[in-house]
Amino acid sequence: MTEEELKELHADKVVDARGTSCPGPLLAAKRSITEVSIGGIMELLSSDTGTKRDIPRWAEKMGHGFLGVIDEAGYSRIFVKRTK
Amino acid sequence: MSKMVLALVSSGMEKLTAGGIMLSGAVAQDMEVKIFLLLGGAYAFRKGTAENMKEVGDFQQAKDQFLAGLQKANVPYWLDFYKKAKGMGKVTIYLCGTAGKIWGSDKLEDYVDIVDTVCGIGEYISSAEEADLSITL
Repeated sequence: MTEEELKELHADKVVDARGTSCPGPLLAAKRSITEVSIGGIMELLSSDTGTKRDIPRWAEKMGHGFLGVIDEAGYSRIFVKRTK
Repeated sequence: MSKMVLALVSSGMEKLTAGGIMLSGAVAQDMEVKIFLLLGGAYAFRKGTAENMKEVGDFQQAKDQFLAGLQKANVPYWLDFYKKAKGMGKVTIYLCGTAGKIWGSDKLEDYVDIVDTVCGIGEYISSAEEADLSITL
């Protein structure tokens, strides 16, 4: 999705993992995705640089949909769609 | 479900922390993980030791920088990775019986309560053989 499309999304759950280092955001994503209904969207906030690369791979392996990233000042907004 | 075996041989905090991070990544991906506490790993998980095990193994010259860096980066204490992973996934922690005897006890009650069982080396070898990923630290 484009950044403009991502900005239009309404996340069903926002998970703020800023301030934690890897693997904190990854574990937060794993724990929190189950709190989103199938078809729903989780937005993960992370200030850990490596998480931007981890989450797409994690989502693919877990069978969820990685939608994209918006970079903000000092952190990223990472969007995942729960698909199963 | 794919399987990972993590053998902890060192009591160095840098390796215990690395193992905890790898364990967390595996649990995040729904892998089944078996952890084997061998020699130094068994030492680190003893009650009374595990709660304050802050010695490094390989790089004494950078110990202060390492400890300060952990704090600055908000990285949890190494034992917390293992406790958290146990609560999030299929993780089993085995104590090597011989290692336990070397450190004075092979009884589970003398180790932190996340250690599940005592094993022999055969169990480690067969588990490593069956695993998709085997890591030794």
